[in-house]
Amino acid sequence: MANIACFVEKYNFADSNEAMALQNFKIAAEKQGHEFDFLFRKNLREIPKYDAVFIRATTDPLYTAYIVSKTAWELGLKVVDDPKSIQICGNKIHLYSLFSKYDIPHIPTIFLNKDAFNHKRILEIFKVFGRPVVVKAPYTSFSRYVEKVACETSFREVAKRFFRKSDALTVQKFMPTAFDWRVGVLNDEVLYVCKYMVPKGRWKHGAKRRGKPSFIWGRTITLKRENAPTELKETALKACGVIGHGLYGVDIKEVDGNYVVVEVNDNPSIYARYEDLRNEDLYGKIIEYLVN
Amino acid sequence: MNINVQLVLNTTIAIPSIQSSGVTCVLVVSNIDLPTNLAIMKPSTFLETSIKDFTVNINNDYRYLKTGYYVSLHAEILGSPVIPSSENILDANRIPLLLLKASKAGIPTLPFLVTDSVKQVMSSFEFPVVVFAVNPFSYEGFEIAKNRSALYRAIKSLGRNYKFAVCVQPLLGEMFTFKSIFGRCKQAKSIEQISRKVYDVFEVPICKLHIQRIGKKVHLCGLQPLRKEELLAVDVEIISEEISQLSKNGDYLIG
Repeated sequence: MANIACFVEKYNFADSNEAMALQNFKIAAEKQGHEFDFLFRKNLREIPKYDAVFIRATTDPLYTAYIVSKTAWELGLKVVDDPKSIQICGNKIHLYSLFSKYDIPHIPTIFLNKDAFNHKRILEIFKVFGRPVVVKAPYTSFSRYVEKVACETSFREVAKRFFRKSDALTVQKFMPTAFDWRVGVLNDEVLYVCKYMVPKGRWKHGAKRRGKPSFIWGRTITLKRENAPTELKETALKACGVIGHGLYGVDIKEVDGNYVVVEVNDNPSIYARYEDLRNEDLYGKIIEYLVN
Repeated sequence: MNINVQLVLNTTIAIPSIQSSGVTCVLVVSNIDLPTNLAIMKPSTFLETSIKDFTVNINNDYRYLKTGYYVSLHAEILGSPVIPSSENILDANRIPLLLLKASKAGIPTLPFLVTDSVKQVMSSFEFPVVVFAVNPFSYEGFEIAKNRSALYRAIKSLGRNYKFAVCVQPLLGEMFTFKSIFGRCKQAKSIEQISRKVYDVFEVPICKLHIQRIGKKVHLCGLQPLRKEELLAVDVEIISEEISQLSKNGDYLIG
């Protein structure tokens, strides 16, 4: 029997489907004879008493989740997401650099440094990628800090905002599709496959409502993992292979019959009745991985 | 359609004479003007090249997402040994991880608490306490809270309105802050020792260290980046000396 700590923040229980998924993890752990406790920010000193740590709060090297992950790692505990995966996936410049190095097919990307950002550079980018282009802050998550720009004025305005926090950012070719594939991968095996649909009239899965702070999300269509295209699954596994052996959500676009990786996310969303709809065993598989 | 293309703009970059074949020489990337005979490359130039050499990344600010971090990351992606590593940059700038790794390496530290709750701090430590920001954006060092309301204010401001947790340690002695350049500092022997040990563990060439002296014993409490204007001519000289030394020992370091 193992003691598993699941690091969460209050917002993880705000959505009923996410809260239900968290309960499903607890049920799966207890079914296998393990203890499963929710660990909040104020209980971090209890980390050493556990055998494994499962992080569900949003991960980023800037957030408390990284402290939790690295502390557990230094103490020799099994941890998902491990600190290296958080470091890589939490920074798109790190991620795309590895994709380039290891020839992972990905959306054409250019890195832009604050010191080398000028009129000439903007024109060069538009010349290479055409218009519009997608400007992405390295710390993007949940479709935030990803914006489409078609002219120099908006390019400068978006870049100025993103450069406040990071001295470098990524610019990508705009490749609109009706949906992005999301392939859940655990320990080099496909766990689940979904289609994250793009809402009508928008260009990404999660889009901000005009004039409002809230987001509108596209539908999620879930497939049995056996029924997903083999090449898609192979591309996802290859992309995860350059990062590590943990739990990942790989976003892939299908363009002209080719699979192109958009990004690999550590700490992928798992909501009851969405990602688990046709792959209900995912909870048990993740728990098994944590304790073995 | 070939979608996996390596796109590099501005490829006509002058590469300093330090470039060599193999990894037998030291490449110094610095945002500080150094009086040395060695060729120094600017971070913005280095980030556009693929020069593979033992890289010494000299920067006054190594915080995550800043140029100092990206230089080390770029060197690692190229497969070059680099000082400091991106992992050490991340950990040294997050106080709980700094203290955890330092204590594992035998550097004296004090008990600490990562929290955003005033109540939890009060049930763990007596006043006064030292409060450090855990978010790596903060340039401010620490705040000393002598009572409940000061603690409340410190947690709120250093935690950026509760978005981030803070790291709290008891204040049992006196706080000291000093510059550490390649682990060297002009302080008492006990303090110099701690500075050297911190450099051995994290290899952050330029930083400010916060320590607490309790009686004769010194304890590491925090690490912070330096502002460029805090670097004096004497500090720049030490940096030049150290990189000249590293350059002389280059073969040994890489081997």
